[in-house]
Amino acid sequence: MSPTDFAWLVLGFPLLGSLVIALGFRVLPARVAGVIGTTAIALAFASTIGALITLLDQPSDAQQLTDSLWDYASASGLEIRLGILVDPLSVFMCLVVTGVSTLIHLYSVGYMGSDEGYRRFFSYLNFFVFSMLLLVLAGNFIFLIVGWAFVGFASYALISFWYRRHTATKAGMKAFVINVIGDVGMVLAAFFVFRELGTFELLDSFDAARETFSTNQGVVIAICCLLLVGAVAKSAQLPLHTWLPDAMEGPTPVSALIHAATMVTAGVYLIARTFPLFELAPTAADIGAFIGLATLLVAATIALAVVDLKRIIAYSTMSQIGYMVMGVSIGAYAGGLFMLMAHAFFKALLFMAAGSVISAMANNQSIDRMSGFRRALPYTSALLLIGALALAAFPGTSGFFAKDEILGFAANRGGMYWVFAIGGYAGALLTAIYSFRIGFRVVAGEPSDEAREFEQGHMSHGERVDGHPVNPATGEVEDVDVGFPGAEHHVAERSRPMAVAMGALGVLALFGGLIQVPGVDAVLEHFLDPTFESSPLYAIAPSTGDAWLGLAVGGVISAAGIAIAYFFYVARRGSTARLIERLPGLHKFLFHKWYFDELEDALVYRPAIAIGRFASSTFERYVVDGIVAGAAGFVRGAGEVVRGAQSGFVRAYALLLLGGFAALGVYFLVAAS
Amino acid sequence: MLNVILWLPLAAGVLALVAPRATVRWTVLAGALGTLVLAVVLAFDFTVGDAALQHAVDESWIPDLGVRYQLGVDGISLFLVVLTALLWEGAVAFSALRGYPEDGRVRLYYFLLALAETAALGAFLAQDLLLFVLFFDLMLVPFFFLIGAFGNGERIVATTKMIVYTLVGSLLMLVGAIAVAILVSQQTGELSFSMQTLSENLLSTGNQTWIFCFFAAAFLVKMPAFPIHGWMPDAYRAAPIPVLVLLSGVLAKVGAYGFLRVALPIFPDATADLQELVLVIGVASILYGSVMAFTQNDTRLVAGYSSVAQLGFITIGIFSLRPEGANGAVLQMVNHGLVVAGIFLIIAVLWARTGTDDLRRMGGQALRAPVLAALFLVVTLATLAMPGSANFIGEFYILNGVFQSKIVFAFVAATGVAMAAFYALRLYQRTMHNRLPEGATSREISLRDGVVLAPLVAVIVGLALYPGLILDRGEASVAGKIEAVAMADCADESFARSDGGRYVLAFGACADDRYGINDELEEQIRNRLDDTPGGGRWTGYGPVVTTDPLVELSTRGAFSPHSDDNSSAPSLPSPFPR
Repeated sequence: MSPTDFAWLVLGFPLLGSLVIALGFRVLPARVAGVIGTTAIALAFASTIGALITLLDQPSDAQQLTDSLWDYASASGLEIRLGILVDPLSVFMCLVVTGVSTLIHLYSVGYMGSDEGYRRFFSYLNFFVFSMLLLVLAGNFIFLIVGWAFVGFASYALISFWYRRHTATKAGMKAFVINVIGDVGMVLAAFFVFRELGTFELLDSFDAARETFSTNQGVVIAICCLLLVGAVAKSAQLPLHTWLPDAMEGPTPVSALIHAATMVTAGVYLIARTFPLFELAPTAADIGAFIGLATLLVAATIALAVVDLKRIIAYSTMSQIGYMVMGVSIGAYAGGLFMLMAHAFFKALLFMAAGSVISAMANNQSIDRMSGFRRALPYTSALLLIGALALAAFPGTSGFFAKDEILGFAANRGGMYWVFAIGGYAGALLTAIYSFRIGFRVVAGEPSDEAREFEQGHMSHGERVDGHPVNPATGEVEDVDVGFPGAEHHVAERSRPMAVAMGALGVLALFGGLIQVPGVDAVLEHFLDPTFESSPLYAIAPSTGDAWLGLAVGGVISAAGIAIAYFFYVARRGSTARLIERLPGLHKFLFHKWYFDELEDALVYRPAIAIGRFASSTFERYVVDGIVAGAAGFVRGAGEVVRGAQSGFVRAYALLLLGGFAALGVYFLVAAS
Repeated sequence: MLNVILWLPLAAGVLALVAPRATVRWTVLAGALGTLVLAVVLAFDFTVGDAALQHAVDESWIPDLGVRYQLGVDGISLFLVVLTALLWEGAVAFSALRGYPEDGRVRLYYFLLALAETAALGAFLAQDLLLFVLFFDLMLVPFFFLIGAFGNGERIVATTKMIVYTLVGSLLMLVGAIAVAILVSQQTGELSFSMQTLSENLLSTGNQTWIFCFFAAAFLVKMPAFPIHGWMPDAYRAAPIPVLVLLSGVLAKVGAYGFLRVALPIFPDATADLQELVLVIGVASILYGSVMAFTQNDTRLVAGYSSVAQLGFITIGIFSLRPEGANGAVLQMVNHGLVVAGIFLIIAVLWARTGTDDLRRMGGQALRAPVLAALFLVVTLATLAMPGSANFIGEFYILNGVFQSKIVFAFVAATGVAMAAFYALRLYQRTMHNRLPEGATSREISLRDGVVLAPLVAVIVGLALYPGLILDRGEASVAGKIEAVAMADCADESFARSDGGRYVLAFGACADDRYGINDELEEQIRNRLDDTPGGGRWTGYGPVVTTDPLVELSTRGAFSPHSDDNSSAPSLPSPFPR
């Protein structure tokens, strides 16, 4: 079998799983849905391994393979085939997506165990993975956009999974609409590509672009900026990021899957995939890099202030994706993708650990309420700290090697790119602080009520109204028919599937970075070489000595950040409250997330609704109806006359119609002769 | 074949007038089903890549007036005929299974539905301009009665408004049809309403312009387009749901179809001149329809205004005057017919559960109705042109066409795509998600509604997997209409070239720049000319034939490359001075 055959299988298993679960929802026993879903993704992972092995058998100059199933919509000069592109980059993405997704499915088997929407959940989850795989395997812009939009839809479906919560349906809508804005950017980019290069195929268009465009030609900058719109919307970069924190309304495994490990990395993949275009448009690439830098800093500051555990992790996602976007924009493709992989491991782990803690907290997500879980949840606590270490880029962990590869590349390029290196290290300090803000507040300190209750072998069930659980975030009475993690809560300590998934990710988060250690090995870089061989930037790398110097700086910064967090959250607990008192304005600014939501509301949503209201209340009534005011007045008069004889009235009009026809016909016949 | 398809529904309707009461609805349903089967056979029997009319019927009808009974189907009308048959079958089945109308006037109701089907099919099949106009107007009459007599709420006001608007449009169109035939007869010396004849003998640009405006008014009212959509909100609120399915699903398409069938070939100069005006109307419809759709609380009006926006897309696709844009418009006509029918049927199903069309008093229906929710979700996603649906491909083709010809309009129209996501999803969420309001119940879709809705959704999914089905069949015919405009508009720059004893056309840069007639398409056009029986005479209005290679042409004339007597060609005077 060829790599493309395996790639079709990679796409086929998740789609089949999703369809089987969806169509069999009435007959499948609940548990079976989880097994089918997890197996489907595991088989996709196995097929990816198959694709990997067969791809490595090919000579390195023939590792970019395309294949297509059928002529999807080719007519009138456009050629759109259902085609895929299999090369080291897409196989690498498939490995990360299917690998991490398998573990998340496994975790969900435990975590969602008592949810009423168990089958629906797995059907959506499989569909999501299918969409993401379609996105990374697409061989042309059209199917790239299809996968792109499917991912957006899947995230909508999963964010508003508990659809009886108003907050969830609202968040789903926001995610979907912002994603569609990204889709529109991509579509317009595709139009430009087609107009200038005459093809929608990715590889063909890259070849044509090199021959057609000169560096920084206006049209190629336009293409790249439109692609950036797509990347920014999907990867939650400034200013289209507001959907990501709200997306935490979805069940926690969804956050792990969609909002940490895979979906948001699509923008990074896009920039890496279309690197020939971005290298022809350095201006657009620099814009991308600055967006990444701004996002990583802004998100990191917000993560220091918000108190919702999942939202802190969400902002850290934004920030980490900022590193990746910055990385691939400045040409550190291997670094950006390395970071993507490492981040997938530790962020999925962090969300899983957070899910376990939140379960023990009876779904209360405020870190102000969490404290001292080290004895109650020892396994979860340990893995949470591992995740935090990797996120903080502590020496030796996967995040450590990945982050420094990007920053080292930026410093090595020199000149303006020093800004990215310095900004990146500043962000690294903030990252280390907020990572351990989470870690220390959850694990250390006096056990909270819930933790104490758990230590006594009983799980907290939170506040109840008439026996129904209450959503701690909104005070809304929950509807157990549509889930709300079900009647029971699940923690890793009591659920084997959850524990296994977290354990595997813990190992990967700690040791996954060892595939790419400066001066020792560069597995990933060599593997990706056939995709990026035409890039002049790919060959540039800092010397081993410089790279280790960068690593040393990164290690010191990470340790310093952790020490600061230790000071604030362990040694002097409560000192942050004094800090907030002293700097109320700054805290408010960060706590309100730089007021992006309010800005969006005032600039886009409210004006649109106001225009709509004006149109329906005023314009429609006075102008549109006014156009026929005369006719309408005439009709009202006529209506008075024939009131009571409605069919006669219509008949009169029908006669008038015929009479008019006849008169006109006669007139023209006379005029003609 | 076409005669049977056309008259079968009416025959069933007439039969229903005399049939026993209990069998009335089944008689008409049988007629509609039979028509659907024949329409599907017609689609399978279609020769792909042939731009000409197929299954043509041509009989003399009123010789004194030059009116002929001409029917035919090509790639533009083929799937609109299938759509018409499918939606009529759906609407009749929905009515029959639910026992509409409740007041017992079954004969009248089903007869009117059957009559309307024949009229709508007639409008799509007619190839004689007067026949087209007659079917177009005949189509409206049953709808006036269906809304006026079987509607609800303010049905009289609604019917009155609809009559006023459509009557004005219809009369203008009739005047236009008669005028164009008479003016052409002054050139040819023979009165004819045949669209073929009219498109071969063009009027002066000035005459084309005003007659074009008359036709455009009728078509735009029918769609309806901003700002002449004033009849739509009242009619949509008042009409019975099955009637609304047809009104929005099929009748709106006749307007858009009319542009392709009548306006482009018969008034090509006016089309080229007024392109931007119509694009402005189309884009305004997209923006206005979208903005209205996301502020309405009446489910019917959300769907109604979304149709205004969708028809706006179809309009700008046609008036991109590019083969891909117009082909996308043909695909999108079918797509929109399918999804809007689905939405209105679902609105009826929801009404049965909530007793209201008001979004503010709905919600939570997904709870006990996963199948209904899933069907609705598919329809919603297709409505918002989710990539992966045929609607996306339709919009993609349309916007690509507009992008290539008038880039600014494409950027503005693209905002409509984002707004569609909002209003379509809003409709879905407000009805299916959140909590059930007091007094409403959530229950699964019944079998009798399911058998109507499920096939529609199946067709939507099927098209999503292979939109090329429609695009492939539309390609050649659509290209022919665009070529007509290109040839008229670019005549000044086009060439006829001697090539080994035959003459071939060469289009100027204008054709490529404005209309996307590139080398590949040009080659196709030439091949088609060579294959034309009767010596390859192209019955269009190409450049004058000349023996000198590459002589620039500035006048129009008949193009006869295979004429035996080439010597006469250079001196061939233009028979139709402008």
